[in-house]
Amino acid sequence: MVCNQCQEIISDYIDGSLELGEQVRVERHLADCEPCRAVRDDLLQIIHFSQKLPLQSPSGAVWARIQSSIEAERPAGLRFRFKVWIARLRDRHFDMSIPQLAAGALALAILVSVSLLALRRGDPPSADMADGQAGLSTNLLSSTDLQQMEQRINELKETVDQNKVAWTPELRVTFDRSLLYVDQSLIECRRELGNNPADPISQELMLNAYREKMRVLEEFARF
Amino acid sequence: MATNAISIKSDAGLSAALAGDSMSGFEELYRKHYRRVYSICLRMTGNVAEAEDLTQEVFIQLSRKIDSFRGEAAFTTWLHRLTVNQVLMHFRKRSVKSELTTDDGEMPDSIDPDTINPEAMPIIDRIALENAIAQLPPGYRTVFVLHDVEGYEHEEIAKILSCSSGTSKSQLHKARLKLRRLLKQRAEAA
Ligand SMILES: [Zn+2]
Repeated sequence: MVCNQCQEIISDYIDGSLELGEQVRVERHLADCEPCRAVRDDLLQIIHFSQKLPLQSPSGAVWARIQSSIEAERPAGLRFRFKVWIARLRDRHFDMSIPQLAAGALALAILVSVSLLALRRGDPPSADMADGQAGLSTNLLSSTDLQQMEQRINELKETVDQNKVAWTPELRVTFDRSLLYVDQSLIECRRELGNNPADPISQELMLNAYREKMRVLEEFARF
Repeated sequence: MATNAISIKSDAGLSAALAGDSMSGFEELYRKHYRRVYSICLRMTGNVAEAEDLTQEVFIQLSRKIDSFRGEAAFTTWLHRLTVNQVLMHFRKRSVKSELTTDDGEMPDSIDPDTINPEAMPIIDRIALENAIAQLPPGYRTVFVLHDVEGYEHEEIAKILSCSSGTSKSQLHKARLKLRRLLKQRAEAA
């Protein structure tokens, strides 16, 4: 066997796919030929290291792009999700224990953040998204409604502040935390509406945040 | 029942809420597989931007087909196969000439005994190997990545590329020799 012949089949030799007779002839040649041994050793190294190449990571932007493509392909799914969330907010029961009160406010805060995040990330939601169940119109947040709610909130706040001195520390902490969550939600909604005043989802979330604030204050006004 | 309609006991509650369109489950799937998928794309194309685009395309395809593959044992194999096919489709669209059907005239490297320098060994470091793989002609690179990096058998490669397994074998051999030459050139230049 000459060098050319040997190197022609050296990959097959390395991969173990030669017939026994040929394998023996290659081995005999390799025993006497340093250049061919060098080729074999180099290829063995290449193969060895190729099997152990570490995995690489793409930039973080790839997942963001995947996510928005998928959501853009599934506007119905996104719409459905908003409807479910909004319905859940609306249907919540009102008589809760103290931990549940805080939980309600936290749930609102989470929903508002997640909804607004999805809103910014995905397709701008169309107006029909919210109106299926609720019959919402774009002037969802009329200024008189808001004024009435704010007035009621202020009244309740006064009552609560008067009662608060007699509360247990636990109740006080729960109240403060609940109010904080709700106020955060209100801030987020307000910011979103500042950018996009006619957006029905943001309006609905804002309305729910106000309702939640009233609810929190009503519940705590009883203590 | 005086309970919240929304479960917030744990993150699981939130992910359950999100599971309305199974995006959170899909993200988990992405986290588990994206590096492998991306690495296949990157090594087959030798190009970061193309590999990222292809990774994106693979997972979008996956999201379209995911429901039919839930719980399937061979999911990983299937996903890698989907990835390879996506890259090959991309090559075809870009009309990258694959040297699989016609020999491109590049002669298999043979050794000139005079240039052998045993002291230059080892020729390999990882970065150099990655770079050399990226420099291979696409046809060589495809077979090399599939066989030596991803561990496919020649029979599988032949099926994927619609060629004979003999062709796959000879492409692999040429690819290895070409890599060796690229690595040696680099080692000698250093
Ligand atoms: Zn020899």
